[in-house]
Amino acid sequence: MDFTATLFTGTGFWNPIIWILAFVITSIVAYLIWRSGVSTYQKGTEQVKPYLSGNAEPEKSAVHIGGGNLYWGFTEGLKGYYSRLVPLHTGDLNDYMLWYFGVIIAVFALVVIFL
Amino acid sequence: MKLSPSFKRSLWVFHFNAGSCNGCDIEIVATITPRYDPERFGVRLVGSPKHADVLLVTGPVTKKMAPRLRRVYEQMPSPKVVICIGTCGQSGGVFYDSYNLDGPVDEIIPVDVYVPGCAPRPEAIIHGVVTALTKLERIEGGEK
Repeated sequence: MDFTATLFTGTGFWNPIIWILAFVITSIVAYLIWRSGVSTYQKGTEQVKPYLSGNAEPEKSAVHIGGGNLYWGFTEGLKGYYSRLVPLHTGDLNDYMLWYFGVIIAVFALVVIFL
Repeated sequence: MKLSPSFKRSLWVFHFNAGSCNGCDIEIVATITPRYDPERFGVRLVGSPKHADVLLVTGPVTKKMAPRLRRVYEQMPSPKVVICIGTCGQSGGVFYDSYNLDGPVDEIIPVDVYVPGCAPRPEAIIHGVVTALTKLERIEGGEK
């Protein structure tokens, strides 16, 4: 089998020599563009950081919202609700049992008083 | 004045206000109007220090602006030249004994060209830029 032969498919053709030439020419053009850039940039300095009107670049975590946090808008919109509810969820069973008994006692008290 | 051929591109300038009263900044804006038109020589203001060859600094450098001026200077690629525009940047000017000054400019970053005046006229600013250009040419020509 001749690997340099041109394959005609009816809708186009395939020739490895043309592809290799195209790759080489593209690489040369890319190298020339890269070489014409500013060579005096120093890695590891402020020169490689973004220009933010002279301000320091903030931590990524301070300005980026993780892709996994799909509920950010929801929790932000209900911030007043969550800011009260989340502290109640201590993870301590004693706290939950206290809430349980407290609410039960309150309900019984209401029933006894009003019925 | 004879220029060496070593600086082969247009001179791009970045303007930094370090607490100026805006007098010098207005004169810089006047400098780039069609009356003087330095852009016909390729001299233009750019929006990022990372694209600039020259840093124009106005103002006496307040405490808040000092770290920002340092950062902007460090973000410029070499070779770079700093021009201090106006009296405030050179001595503090009328603000020299103010409580909130860290300047003048040459106490924060190295200054190559001083353009005195309160505020300096556009002709003086253009002269300063041309002086900076000659310095850049000498630097690119190999001079330390």
